[in-house]
Amino acid sequence: MILPAFRLHRPTSIDEALIVAASCDNDFDYVGGGTDLLPNYKNRLNPRRNVIALWRVPDLHAMNGGSLGAMMRLVELERDPDVQRRWPGLIEAVEQVATPLVRQQATLGGNLLVETRCYYFNQSHDWRASKGYCMKADGDVCLVVPQKEVCYAVYSGDAAAVLLALDATFTIHGFEGEREVRARDFFQPDGIRRNVLRRGDILTSVRLPPEAESYRAGYLKLRLRDSYDFPDAGVAAAVKLDGGIVEDLQVVVNAVSMTPLIYSDITGPARGERLTPALIQDLAAAIAARIQPVRNVMFPPQYRKRMVGVLARRLLTRLTLPAR
Amino acid sequence: MSVVGKPAPLVDARAKVTGSGVYTDDIKLPGMLVGKILRSPLPHARILSIDTSRAEALPGVRAVVTGRESTVRFGVLPVSRDETAMAVERVIYIGDCVAGVAADEEEIALEAVRLIDVRYEPLKPILTIDDALEKTSTPIHDKTLDGTNIQKAVDQNFGDVDAAFASSAFVEKHEFRFAAVTHAFTEPHCVIAHHDHDGRLTVWSATQVPHYLHRALSEVLSMPMHRIRVIRPMVGGAFGGKSDPFPHEMIAALLSIRTKRPVKILFDREEVFITNHGRHPTRTLMAMGVSREGLITGLDLKSLIDGGAWGSFGVVTTYYNGVLCMGPYRVDNFRYSGRRVYTNKPPSGAMRGHGAVNSRFAMEVLVDILAEDAGIDPIDFRLRNLLPPMTKTINEFRITSNGTREGLEAVRGASGWNDLHGKLPYGEGIGVACGFYISGSALPIHWTKTPQSTVHIKIDSDGGITVHSLAAEIGQGSDTMLAQCVAEPLGVGLDRIRVFSSDSDTAPIDLGSYSSRVTFMAGNAALRAAEEIRKELVAAASVLTGQPAAGFVLLDEKLVYAPSPDITVSFMDALQEAIKDKGALVARGCYAAAPPMGGKFKGAAAGLSPSYTFQAYVARVGVDPETGFVTVRKMWAAHDCGRALNPLAVVGQIQGCVHMGLGQALTEDFRYNRGNILDANLLDYRTLTPRQMPPVEVFMIETNDPEGPFGAKEAGEGPILPVAPAVANAIYDAVGVRLKELPMTPDRILTALQDGRGGPGARPSRESSRREGKRAPRRPATVGS
Amino acid sequence: MSDPRGSDVTLYSIQRREPVDRVVMSVTVNGTRHRMAARPYDVLLDLLRERIGLTGTKRGCDMGTCGCCTVILEGRPVLSCLTLALQADGARVTTIEGIAQAQTGGQLHPVQQAFADTGASQCGFCTPGFVMTAVSLIEQNPDPTEAQIREAISGNMCRCTGYLSIIEAITRAARVLRERGARSPEPAPTSGGAS
Repeated sequence: MILPAFRLHRPTSIDEALIVAASCDNDFDYVGGGTDLLPNYKNRLNPRRNVIALWRVPDLHAMNGGSLGAMMRLVELERDPDVQRRWPGLIEAVEQVATPLVRQQATLGGNLLVETRCYYFNQSHDWRASKGYCMKADGDVCLVVPQKEVCYAVYSGDAAAVLLALDATFTIHGFEGEREVRARDFFQPDGIRRNVLRRGDILTSVRLPPEAESYRAGYLKLRLRDSYDFPDAGVAAAVKLDGGIVEDLQVVVNAVSMTPLIYSDITGPARGERLTPALIQDLAAAIAARIQPVRNVMFPPQYRKRMVGVLARRLLTRLTLPAR
Repeated sequence: MSVVGKPAPLVDARAKVTGSGVYTDDIKLPGMLVGKILRSPLPHARILSIDTSRAEALPGVRAVVTGRESTVRFGVLPVSRDETAMAVERVIYIGDCVAGVAADEEEIALEAVRLIDVRYEPLKPILTIDDALEKTSTPIHDKTLDGTNIQKAVDQNFGDVDAAFASSAFVEKHEFRFAAVTHAFTEPHCVIAHHDHDGRLTVWSATQVPHYLHRALSEVLSMPMHRIRVIRPMVGGAFGGKSDPFPHEMIAALLSIRTKRPVKILFDREEVFITNHGRHPTRTLMAMGVSREGLITGLDLKSLIDGGAWGSFGVVTTYYNGVLCMGPYRVDNFRYSGRRVYTNKPPSGAMRGHGAVNSRFAMEVLVDILAEDAGIDPIDFRLRNLLPPMTKTINEFRITSNGTREGLEAVRGASGWNDLHGKLPYGEGIGVACGFYISGSALPIHWTKTPQSTVHIKIDSDGGITVHSLAAEIGQGSDTMLAQCVAEPLGVGLDRIRVFSSDSDTAPIDLGSYSSRVTFMAGNAALRAAEEIRKELVAAASVLTGQPAAGFVLLDEKLVYAPSPDITVSFMDALQEAIKDKGALVARGCYAAAPPMGGKFKGAAAGLSPSYTFQAYVARVGVDPETGFVTVRKMWAAHDCGRALNPLAVVGQIQGCVHMGLGQALTEDFRYNRGNILDANLLDYRTLTPRQMPPVEVFMIETNDPEGPFGAKEAGEGPILPVAPAVANAIYDAVGVRLKELPMTPDRILTALQDGRGGPGARPSRESSRREGKRAPRRPATVGS
Repeated sequence: MSDPRGSDVTLYSIQRREPVDRVVMSVTVNGTRHRMAARPYDVLLDLLRERIGLTGTKRGCDMGTCGCCTVILEGRPVLSCLTLALQADGARVTTIEGIAQAQTGGQLHPVQQAFADTGASQCGFCTPGFVMTAVSLIEQNPDPTEAQIREAISGNMCRCTGYLSIIEAITRAARVLRERGARSPEPAPTSGGAS
């Protein structure tokens, strides 16, 4: 299946990438591993005339203290003993992304910025033409929830949920310079806009705060198969315990909405408490009650909602077990 | 036996593992054009006009063809020729072929397809079985029943089901639903057609039925068969999905006739899904009665199958849904009502276990339910009801070898059944199911005098043995099987043998790789041809040694005079003597037709086979009652293959069947959204992953079939039958819910559990599972009453 | 093509826009250096199959799901259908044709031999991809457990075998390679770019 025609740019520095981007008349995409962008291009999902490949930008590949380059491949993260030791919860999410072959190419930044997904969007051009197109590509209505305001496509990255829970910060380089955005503020509840990135912005690195290493974190993913599948729901949690007492607890649910969803208001009151089975059950139920998935991925909404409760309970239970 | 019965790596394995094997898309011909197909965006519409002028004007476009080019109808079954190369007046499913383009480059062809202007008048789409049963003014095809979209009705009645149910101790009636599933082979369809300047047409295609393709090309193009050459390169999996002559093959031929250049059409994965021909979405209502003694009294079955837009093999499918329930159990009263409907969706067709899989699921689950009603262990219940070998069924199937009993005993012992069934902790379960399948359709699709399989052998003085056949090697190992059937009687190793099975110009006709017929029919043909050669070699050895020909045995590249084994002639010496004065040894063998069999009633031929295969499987599962996720822990799979000619291939077929059967059981679902396939890619169409695949302990039950080559029967399709019901019965043992809809996805299992149907108390009785007749007899019921 | 919904909207062209210049690149495939002009939107799979003529690498889904197109790029297994040709510019690529001098009747690579011997290749279409994944796994982990093998191949699809014979083949090949390595340590075939 041939790709749509585009010009390929291969800058060797962030600055050069931005200069190229500035010359592309707003008609470009950045590409990292390409495992998300290229299938979408093959389906003619919003292809651009210019593709700016970030392969040759060395800064993006580096790991530096608590900072992970956005172009680090998922398999590199999985196999890095330092990452394994410091943020095992992140590894648990990364290991569950797609397939081992995809993870050889896919990058951390690419997983964070993975295109939102929907049964009416992730289809060929012919398929979408026969449906009359949706607002996310070539059309102007939502075919899941018929209306013209917002796109309900599902945020389907796995790594982000853990990064939100661990309060990571994303470094962004744009035409106006460099800035940092908390992961928790990064995503936008709109399946098309998706996040706070502006045209030209490059997500260059992910910085985990030093405290993240004192959390226990994990990620459970709902999918029919143990490989290939995008999440139909996912739950990440990070908990900091002091002698069994909660110092901080964060739970993030992803793949049930346009963004990962953090429930600090629900988990906040658990501070100072002991995570008993009853409390865990209450927290999990409260979180599941908030979820309002729509019918646009494989599992039906009610099942996904229910499973968020089960996964949250199981994950919190596991994270509060005594360390091995 | 020196070759037969020994595990043999496939004769083409080296080509495959080195990447040097040539599949259709690997072929590049000088001047070859790229063909692309314009497909319908609507499920049902009248074509008002097609304007190809803009496409034709695009530089690099060499030809554009539309439905007007060829209105000859074709279809794999002569009774349902309802396809044309491209839509003529109406499009009848999303993806229906509307026009074809040949261009210098793929990009140009794609653009040209976009430049074809088609105006449609939308018609009401028929998308469900229920809609298709209604009367309509515009049925999808001309020849439907009573103004509906019913394509085929089968009604059969043997004995008196109502009376049998009235006198039964237990009668159970349940409805089952089956999603469409599809083959999902890895190689997309691909065809190259080349109409050369001599007016001969050569077609390379990824097909399992080169002969039927040959016939269909001849009819559609009004070209004599001898002017057409069909070549089947290596085929990357088929499973029934490449067993119809296809429109894209006709389109490539039409484009090549127009351009006099080779034209290749390679499908993208979505087109593969659109082409489908997978298992029919099915609704099955089944009732079965059992006597107080635990004997099956009768079977009442109604099947509604969704055929999609075309007939394909559907008339056969309609019969098979009923008649393939006639084994392995004795059923003295049987009533079947089958209906196949047309809908505005991609066509259903034949898929591994054709026509038998869904009914088998219903039957094996029902048998399990009735065994419990009767208080009999499910394996004991099955053993009690088995057909014996060498018998006849109520619908006059001739049963020869039958290894079900040995199979059931094997899996019972190996799985530890007696200690586990009904005794495992909540969430863990074990289940059993049997299967029954044809080993080659006894009657060919076309009523001709052509033998079903013919094999030619040639040996010249170089000592190389070439075997010619049109039996389609599609990965199942048929080339290797042919080589074995020739090597064994000639006493030579497989390295002497080369099988040429891809070219209709050089191979004698074989009907193709469908209905699990190749080992039985082509194998017999090869064996017979080899026996002809053997006679000539033995005669030569007799001349060389002065000993009587009858005393020679052939093994290890020698002809040994058995009464005095130090008298030997080497294979090569015998060969040189045999070809003296007459040239290369050539011989042919054929499997002309199955012996006369079957009844005289309407539809009696459906399901007749010269032999049948039998299966008995046990599945061990774990079910997470909170999430509904099923883990299949192990399968014990006994298959009566008659004789395992190549155990490596038989085991491979059984393991592959378990994988495909588990997919249908648990994950695969070919869903639609108002006529659009929702899962038209390998990410959303979910086949089982390597980590989900359980270990499979295979038992090859060798019953030595009286008519099979070396006693062999099929092994490629029957082994899929028990997979899904064994898992369903194990799920019941684990959590107490009976799933009656496939796939048994976690959300469905959880829904069933939430409905209060399951739970620890709902499972088969843990204390009294061996007590018979513990339940009160149920009121008799009949299907549709 | 008219809008199927019946309005007069003409759908935009989805393929051809203004022509895009080709880019000269070089790539070393199975030890042989190739220099050619590639379109920026060509994928490595097209380059290998259509330009260099190495058709052992298969096109199964073109969407990165089936794994039939797996090749080794700079020592890593990659999906060549989702790798731009220019991503291989200046790089070394090993394909199924390059892992052993088997094309001319020579010895098979132990992974290839094991696939043939165990029946791990039925229709054979997925086999090149599996072999490349397996070779790469064993290079990285010479003694993989069954669980590690199952994990490593869970991005390659096979519809014939049910994977069990493939798992057996990889186990067997790893053992052969370990035994061979114990006798005479040789450079791994893919990292050196077999020639």
